[in-house]
Amino acid sequence: MRRALWLLLLGLVACAPKTGQPLDAKVRVIPNPPPVGKAEICIDVDPRSEFKEIKVVGDMTHPGMIPVIAEAHPAGPGLWRVDAFDFNMRGDWVLTITAVDKKGKKYQKEVRLTVP
Amino acid sequence: MSLLSRLRQDLLALPLVGRFLRWRYSRFLLQLPLLLVAFLALYDGFFGRQLAPKNFATVSVWLHYRGFLVLAVAVLGNLFCAACPLMLVRGPTRWAKRYLPQFQWPRPLRNKYFVIALTLFYLFAYEYWDLWASPWLTAWLILGYFGAAFLVDAFFPEGTFCKYVCPLGNFNFTLSTTSPTQITAKDPSVCLSCEGKYCVNGRVETPAGPKTAREASPKEGTYYPGCETRLYVPQIQSNMDCTLCFNCLRACPYDNVALKPRFWGAEWIRARYRLDWVWLGVLLFFAGFMNAFAMVPAYYQLAERLSALLGITSEGLLLILIYALWTGLGFSLVLLLSGLASRLSGFKEPAMKAVRRWGVAFFPLAFAMWAGHYAFHFLTGWASIVPVTQQALIHLGLPLPEPDWTLAALVPENLLYPLQVVILYLGLTGATVTLFSRARGGRPLGAAFFFLMLFLLVALALWVLAQPMEMRGTLLLPKT
Repeated sequence: MRRALWLLLLGLVACAPKTGQPLDAKVRVIPNPPPVGKAEICIDVDPRSEFKEIKVVGDMTHPGMIPVIAEAHPAGPGLWRVDAFDFNMRGDWVLTITAVDKKGKKYQKEVRLTVP
Repeated sequence: MSLLSRLRQDLLALPLVGRFLRWRYSRFLLQLPLLLVAFLALYDGFFGRQLAPKNFATVSVWLHYRGFLVLAVAVLGNLFCAACPLMLVRGPTRWAKRYLPQFQWPRPLRNKYFVIALTLFYLFAYEYWDLWASPWLTAWLILGYFGAAFLVDAFFPEGTFCKYVCPLGNFNFTLSTTSPTQITAKDPSVCLSCEGKYCVNGRVETPAGPKTAREASPKEGTYYPGCETRLYVPQIQSNMDCTLCFNCLRACPYDNVALKPRFWGAEWIRARYRLDWVWLGVLLFFAGFMNAFAMVPAYYQLAERLSALLGITSEGLLLILIYALWTGLGFSLVLLLSGLASRLSGFKEPAMKAVRRWGVAFFPLAFAMWAGHYAFHFLTGWASIVPVTQQALIHLGLPLPEPDWTLAALVPENLLYPLQVVILYLGLTGATVTLFSRARGGRPLGAAFFFLMLFLLVALALWVLAQPMEMRGTLLLPKT
């Protein structure tokens, strides 16, 4: 019985899905550091990359806060932009940038910053 | 007698409830869900994404556990100690006790002062290492709790951990003085003639009748352990130290234990509080205040100014200084004003007796302070438990749909502050009733004087809760 439980646990862990590939991008927040309120986020990726969408999710480091979710739009070769990302509270923020390519493959990058 | 009138005397008269709680394995059944939660929190905390709002460990511990805790205490009682999975180490410790030397808990530590010191360290650790922001550290905290419970339980008598060590359990004890229920004897005269005091000593039900655990080996019949924190049912005046485990209910062969409804915080007026209990209550109010204050910009400005004034750049040192100043100020204020209040009321009593008289008024305020703070976090993010559980289970390999991270707020944000105001006013009302009850036999002037201080503290707490929040892990911003 105990062995079966261990096998089940191992099986579950082995089945765990892989997280997204790392995203090779440069992320700029304008102004930096951003004040409480709207700020611009620019994401520079390789111009040859073929992303169909890039999403930015902002979380505060305290559990339970509602995340801020925004879609970036293409603004030039290799440049994606969120015009008005709402940093609605002071404190530590974690931006998760998720890019999806034409094959549906996900790439992720995490950026930590403080809204003073 | 109708069911309603029976329920007024004993909530265990509720159909099925009393029967369930008298069952030997009822506590285990209550502990099981929290044990599973602890396992999932450990797994996700160690192996999941290290982002607090997206991790089951941080969301379940810092949001839901704390939110449900104050809710359970306000509605019924100390349910989280009743269902505490840490006590499931009891099986392994009973085995380990066969091979380990046994000690008695040192007499100087048989009070709440050790817990007060541990609570202060815990609060420092919470701020210094930003436990709320780290799934990994939260998982270690859970594991550490299990380890500490195991070690203390393996070397010392059962119940030592709950009564003299566990900061969380003692936090629950203090807050549960608010609860509208209390364990009591149905008929105290039955207890007077009870030869075994089974509710404390435990009962072994043998073919020859009930015997205490000292008179008979548990192998001689069915064993029902007694109260591990050594509370004798007819003498219980307070919920302090009661884990609501219902061992007393199961151990009593005369079915003489009841869970009696009472008015919220009724014991603040009637019960005799020990000095160490009062200091714990005082500490929890001032610590609750600081815990909320540490989330507003004014706290960071104060830290920056202190840093500039004293030339301290070490965050740890600054935190120690702030906590020492604040709790030191709180304790001194209570000591000084209690003495003055007793004088004004015409009581000629030593300073510590005055603290025991007036300091009880901090219990309702401590509950209100923590409840107001926890209510905010719980209500702003209660539904986030759905996506984090989903994600943790997906990570474990279960085929579930993608989590919806937009799930969060239960109540509109503009209702949260009014709710906090109501909770703090209720706390102040409880404190006021307590003060004037404790002034009986003297002039009410002392109570009015002490009330003034509490009123100012509540006003300060309301100002803190009204500030915009700032959730920052670092006390001092890096110089740019």
